[in-house]
Amino acid sequence: MKKRVSLLLALVMLATMFVGCADKKGEEGTSTSTSSSEGGSKTIALCTEDLETEFWVAAHKAIVDTLEEQGIKVIETNCQGDANKQLEQVKDVITQNVDGIIVIPKDGDTAVAVTKEANNADIPIVIFNRPPTSDEGANITVVCDNATVAEACVDYMVEEAEKKFDKTGEKLTPLIMVGDLGDPNAIARKEGFYAAIEKKPELFNKVIEVPTEWDAATALANLQSAVQANPDVDFLFTSSDFLFPTIQSVLEPLGKWVKVGEEGHVIMGGLDGDATAGELIDEGIIEGTGVQDVYNEADLAISGILDAIEAGETQPDEIREDPGFALTQGNLKEKRMDMWGNILREQ
Amino acid sequence: MIGNKSIKMVILRNIPIILFIAIFLIFGIFSPKFISVDSFKNILVSSSYVGIIAIGIMFVLLTGGIDLSIGSVMYLSAAVTGLSVQKLQVPTVLAIIIGLGIATLVGVINAFLIVILDILPFITTLGMMVFVKAVGLLMTKSESVKLPKVITSMGSQSVLGIPMPIIIFAIIILFGVLFLGKTKLGRQIYAVGNDVEEARKAGIHTKKVLFTCYVMSALFAGIGGIISVAQIGIVNAAFGKGEEFNAIAAAVLGGVSLAGGVGKVFPGVVLGAVMIQMIQAGLVFMQTDLYKQPLISAGIIFLAVFLDSIRSKYIAKAEKRNIRNENKGLQ
Repeated sequence: MKKRVSLLLALVMLATMFVGCADKKGEEGTSTSTSSSEGGSKTIALCTEDLETEFWVAAHKAIVDTLEEQGIKVIETNCQGDANKQLEQVKDVITQNVDGIIVIPKDGDTAVAVTKEANNADIPIVIFNRPPTSDEGANITVVCDNATVAEACVDYMVEEAEKKFDKTGEKLTPLIMVGDLGDPNAIARKEGFYAAIEKKPELFNKVIEVPTEWDAATALANLQSAVQANPDVDFLFTSSDFLFPTIQSVLEPLGKWVKVGEEGHVIMGGLDGDATAGELIDEGIIEGTGVQDVYNEADLAISGILDAIEAGETQPDEIREDPGFALTQGNLKEKRMDMWGNILREQ
Repeated sequence: MIGNKSIKMVILRNIPIILFIAIFLIFGIFSPKFISVDSFKNILVSSSYVGIIAIGIMFVLLTGGIDLSIGSVMYLSAAVTGLSVQKLQVPTVLAIIIGLGIATLVGVINAFLIVILDILPFITTLGMMVFVKAVGLLMTKSESVKLPKVITSMGSQSVLGIPMPIIIFAIIILFGVLFLGKTKLGRQIYAVGNDVEEARKAGIHTKKVLFTCYVMSALFAGIGGIISVAQIGIVNAAFGKGEEFNAIAAAVLGGVSLAGGVGKVFPGVVLGAVMIQMIQAGLVFMQTDLYKQPLISAGIIFLAVFLDSIRSKYIAKAEKRNIRNENKGLQ
């Protein structure tokens, strides 16, 4: 009986593999056919870290769609948050003789390691959105200036805080939800926050820092503790927009999840520019968010890799910066549709 | 003299509770607001879902097995619940039942592979961790799933001033205590964990016991997922990631042996889950430097485990001595 069941299971698994391969073949076929008509026979590997936030999903879609529109064959890998696996996957795509590699690295160290592998194989490489921890090796780094974007968003929040201070004469209590301390983007966002706050120190009490480790459950528990210890928090910046529903869970029962101008409103801002933040700005719940322009970053990555391939450059070395911007209640009319989250919502 | 000895034994037996109270009071000294009913209530609410999944995985750990798939099960069951409401307009209660049904199904598959096909639990549940997550991502396309207000408001609702997550946690604790302590199947789990061969020779249907444990682990992960998402408000693709390790940590800190056969739901696992959350909350209350928080947290947990191991050795020694003395007395 056990043998029969095992055999049956093995057959089911084999069948699944065949179905999977058949699907892939179909996809690749489409890609290759376009390729011959427009983009020659280029193959680009896209090695993603994971697809667990709206930002990464949007970045992945933008890159894959644009490359395929240009008739370029795309080989995709996903390391599911495992740095070692990502390095192995990059080595693997190198053996498949790809023309270029775009990597969304697990972290800054992985960015350095994969750059080294690509350089050794003389294949141009783009590091997307997470900067390498050292300038060792040659790559095209596409990065958003997280510190500047965070500062721009918090600058607007500080303006609003100043208005409140002028009315009440009471200092505000700021809180920042800090991302994973191992992520350079999280650190840059924290620096941007402090840069803005420190421009008007007379408006604020001591800043309360809440660790989130980029995890909603951790963020929830720690924010609840922080708000309980400091019930007068009235200025809140989250280092990523994906935490807004979690913030709502904490503030709503306290009567603090209310619109701008209403009694009990907490001045709030975030960073990323996702659809949730777009909705909340439209509803008037939050002041604004710092926007990483995912489509611009995708364009910078694609043009970078294609230019290098065309020029026969195997080790291009440059930094391409997405300046980003802050979408706030103040510039909502002009900039609303520049935010990728709002574009996704419209779609 | 005898009185002193029994006081020592009472202290030894209750070291985890004493340590728990001591940590609570120490944080309270540094941050007086920490010692309040509301603060303790928040700690319990925040630890409720980890406590539930820790009780679930405890069943498996008691048999000497492991279940690495529970984080993914949390994600899948919460995502299925949300999608059932969002896309299929299924009534909320039915959606929750479907979500928990899916979790149970994963448990049945785990159990089938481990118990019937004799595949190692570590390999089976590791594979299921990846498979179940992949199924969830395929269904959601990595997009966030919003759950209906009925579920998300559950996170902040109270009955007689007691938050709903604590009530559900208490029901699960009660079930775990009664099941393991008062039912035949519960006691058989300890027997299987101590020695599966001996248990089989004693006439215990070991396969049934193991099957039950893996199914319960997955079901409790599903319940934990719903409780967690009721508080977080949204299921994103990272939901549940790494929760298996939090659950194992809570169970081990609560005195559950990874070798099987040893462990209690209360105070054991419950204390473990709440203590981890209490330490984290205390550090946030004190506004400890973010870089130092994990160091202090790990230090306290190490201390707790170390004291617990010393305590177990002393108790074992004292009990042996008592048996020898009783035997001498009989001679």
